[in-house]
Amino acid sequence: MALIERFQKTTDIGFWEGQIPMSYIYTVGRAGEKFFRELMNGKIIGAKCDVCNIIYVPAKIFCERCFARLEDKYLEVGTTGTVHTFTQCYETYDGMRKETPSIVAVIHIDGTQGFLVHWLGEVEFEKVYIGMPVEAVFKPKKDREGSILDIKYFKPVK
Amino acid sequence: MRRVAIVGAGITKFYRNVQETPKELAFEATKMALESCEMKLSDIECVVHGTAPDAFDGIHMKGEYLSDGSGAFRKPYMRHYVGGGTGVLSPIHGWFHVASGMFDTCLVVAEEKMSSAYPHPAGAFLTIFDHTTEQPLYPTLIWIFAIEMNRFMTTYGYRKEDIALVAVKNKKNAMDHPSAQLPAEITVQDVLNSEIMAWPVNRLDISPTSDGAACIVLAAEHVARRVTEKPIWIDGVGWALDTAYWTTRDLYYPDYVEVAARQAYKMAGIKEPSKEIHIAEPYDPFTYKELHHIEGLGLCKRGESVQMLLDGVTQRTGNLPCCPSGGALGVGNPIAATGVMKIIEIFLQLRGEAGKRQVPGKPTCGLAQAWGDLMQVGTVVVMRS
Repeated sequence: MALIERFQKTTDIGFWEGQIPMSYIYTVGRAGEKFFRELMNGKIIGAKCDVCNIIYVPAKIFCERCFARLEDKYLEVGTTGTVHTFTQCYETYDGMRKETPSIVAVIHIDGTQGFLVHWLGEVEFEKVYIGMPVEAVFKPKKDREGSILDIKYFKPVK
Repeated sequence: MRRVAIVGAGITKFYRNVQETPKELAFEATKMALESCEMKLSDIECVVHGTAPDAFDGIHMKGEYLSDGSGAFRKPYMRHYVGGGTGVLSPIHGWFHVASGMFDTCLVVAEEKMSSAYPHPAGAFLTIFDHTTEQPLYPTLIWIFAIEMNRFMTTYGYRKEDIALVAVKNKKNAMDHPSAQLPAEITVQDVLNSEIMAWPVNRLDISPTSDGAACIVLAAEHVARRVTEKPIWIDGVGWALDTAYWTTRDLYYPDYVEVAARQAYKMAGIKEPSKEIHIAEPYDPFTYKELHHIEGLGLCKRGESVQMLLDGVTQRTGNLPCCPSGGALGVGNPIAATGVMKIIEIFLQLRGEAGKRQVPGKPTCGLAQAWGDLMQVGTVVVMRS
């Protein structure tokens, strides 16, 4: 057994601060170009593989099962779905405590085999359940910029 | 294919914030493994290294950086990475090198130093998510585990207070492990009362941030018989990957673990895993994951893992001890090194050398399993004495 002394903080011992300094510009891709442009119009776009009979959401240019090209198989899939599963998160992505916890859910988009992960809004955590019908709430049209955040959150269908 | 044995093992203590650099950690584990079987670095023909995201240690291409600490100076060397599944893929990777006839001996080294990343290594996971459809939501790793645990609980009607027993069991087991970071005697109530991270996951449902390294020595049969009287054979290996779109999976059942397990069982000639496997080290970074994986491994029927836990079957003294080491929850979770720690536990148990952790009944067949990537890789190794 190697003997290793424990330190409460790495800064109590010899250290050097550093980063891997690099930023990125991610293209949304060919399918993403379609998906995010239509998101600005308040529409969610999927892609259907006729061979496997699967509708993917978000749209993709290929079927992962049979490798068919799907670029001419895009279709509008509606903006409603059901809660596949959910959580209420108290931590930020880098391990800090959040001031207000947020509800996160995987949404099964109606009529498809596709899912989106997003926030839930206009609902109390205690009222959320698996199978709950929900719909996308979009930002006002002028504020949309072709991002997944053009959807503010999903809310329960009244 | 040639038979491949594990003949030696070494492991550092697992801690948060160690002074050692990553390559010093790798060196300590590797040195200890060589000494355990009285071999010298010159007896080693090749080296396999497993280590998880470069972002943890903060060293880009850290496989190359870790090579000297892993004993790879002027030797054939390969690094691979499948996230949390890395530690059990590493021995499989080494197995190929020896089973193929290419090499007679191989060091398998796994290292992780998570504490270099701040404010918290969890931040490194942001960029494993899809950059346009998911990252803008600032997903955390805990989200997706909480989401999976919720679906697992809801599907089978499992209760949080029952699942919490996994933490009680594993942290207690870890009290007998000299490497353990979080050994403790705790109660179910302690788990339920610990800080909520993302419902239904509390702090004590989660394995810690850890630094550590582990190493095993592999040898072809003719070498193994010369080196030791108690070689432990790698009789089955399996690995599988589910879809890259994590949201589209059922989540309540780990298909990828089943596919990997079936491959390993077929190779090892195992027909009834729940009877033929005597001891198991399923990957337990979260309490529910041990149960989730036990079901995927076919060690019980679907939906029966909690009953198995309540009945004491998975205790060290039960019929199918699971995580007798103390697991990731108790010993700690320096990602890649955890999987090799589990392999080492089965190695020691099958040799009857696990000391205070030794399970009764002289087990002769065990398995170790890990899981990782974006929740979808399963890696399984079946071992026999």
